[in-house]
Amino acid sequence: MQPLKPEQRRAILENSPQAQPADIDEYERLLSLRFAEDPDQEPAAAPDHTAQERALVGSQEEREARLKQLHAKLFGASENKKAKTAAAHG
Amino acid sequence: MAFVEKVMRVGATKPNPFTICIVANPALEAPWKSGIVIPDPIMGQLAAFQAAATYIDSALFGLLPGQKEVLLADPAILPFIRVLSLYDDGLSPALANALVGQDSSSFLLVARRNVFVAFLSRYEIQADVVYAVSASVSHTRASAWCTTDDDAGDGIPFMVDFGQLFHRFNCTIPGTVGIHATACSLTALHEFGHAVSSYSNGSIVDLYVDSNPALNNKLGRPIPAGFATYNATPFASDGARDGIGYPSDWRSYHCELVDSSRPAVMDDYYQSTTGPEACLHDQITKRFIRDRLLAKINRP
Repeated sequence: MQPLKPEQRRAILENSPQAQPADIDEYERLLSLRFAEDPDQEPAAAPDHTAQERALVGSQEEREARLKQLHAKLFGASENKKAKTAAAHG
Repeated sequence: MAFVEKVMRVGATKPNPFTICIVANPALEAPWKSGIVIPDPIMGQLAAFQAAATYIDSALFGLLPGQKEVLLADPAILPFIRVLSLYDDGLSPALANALVGQDSSSFLLVARRNVFVAFLSRYEIQADVVYAVSASVSHTRASAWCTTDDDAGDGIPFMVDFGQLFHRFNCTIPGTVGIHATACSLTALHEFGHAVSSYSNGSIVDLYVDSNPALNNKLGRPIPAGFATYNATPFASDGARDGIGYPSDWRSYHCELVDSSRPAVMDDYYQSTTGPEACLHDQITKRFIRDRLLAKINRP
């Protein structure tokens, strides 16, 4: 997964006052984790993951739900702003 | 309508050379996993697609201005890799032609990995790694899935700390990348690192987040001096994540860098003070990718 550019990270914090750097870190970690596991296999198939480590990151469903929350928190304001701008330019 | 299939690099003269395919994405699933399909704006932009294909090839083979990572330009590797590009704007916007989805939880382009084999078979292409290039108007960030190896088939065995694994000759699902037509810098090379690795025989993960254990990432504090032993070769840990530093709340640690003044390619290459193109793979990642490629290049 392509890293966020430094200016993108700054823009998130500027455009979404409720967002904290820790929120971005958690969001990025959960997004990246999505691709680290074979989406077509049970997690046990991976040779280098322990059950304990899997438990720490929650189920796939829990992670996707948390990602939606964080996405709204980090980008909700900018998406509203974009929508308003688009509407204004009609 | 246009159909352009181009051999960008011929590769080994054998029936099954290691093959990288760069495809113009005919349709987007928007949002990803919704079943709703729209045409990808890359259709009708042949020149933009060809520019993207040239960029991907350049990033892979160390041809970007100032690029230091030239692993695939090795004379034992470069001449044996086949690179194809494929553009076909005569396809209907159907799910079977949607190679990429737009993630509703991010601005990531996500490869719809399960449709790639059937899609490419229509063109009689078997690929090991596939880039699907999109010109989405809203989603521009690249992502990749690792390869699903054919573990019923043969391969070259190797030993790592967690036991014997194999550099498998073939895959059941190739490594797949969703990438935007405007991608630049090391993005294509970074995604190749993921895509060429394997879910069952060693995965290469992002090093810029506190990732789970993988071939190139371990967990624990204090960081031990030794990172791993790979085929009897010991690799040291990167105790300081030179060039960036480990956040205090991380448990991850990485393998020793080749150039300790810059982040690894799989880390946050945008933080390189001398430009992303100066970044190199860490030591175990470089060795693993090289061995895996050689196994596939020399497959029977």
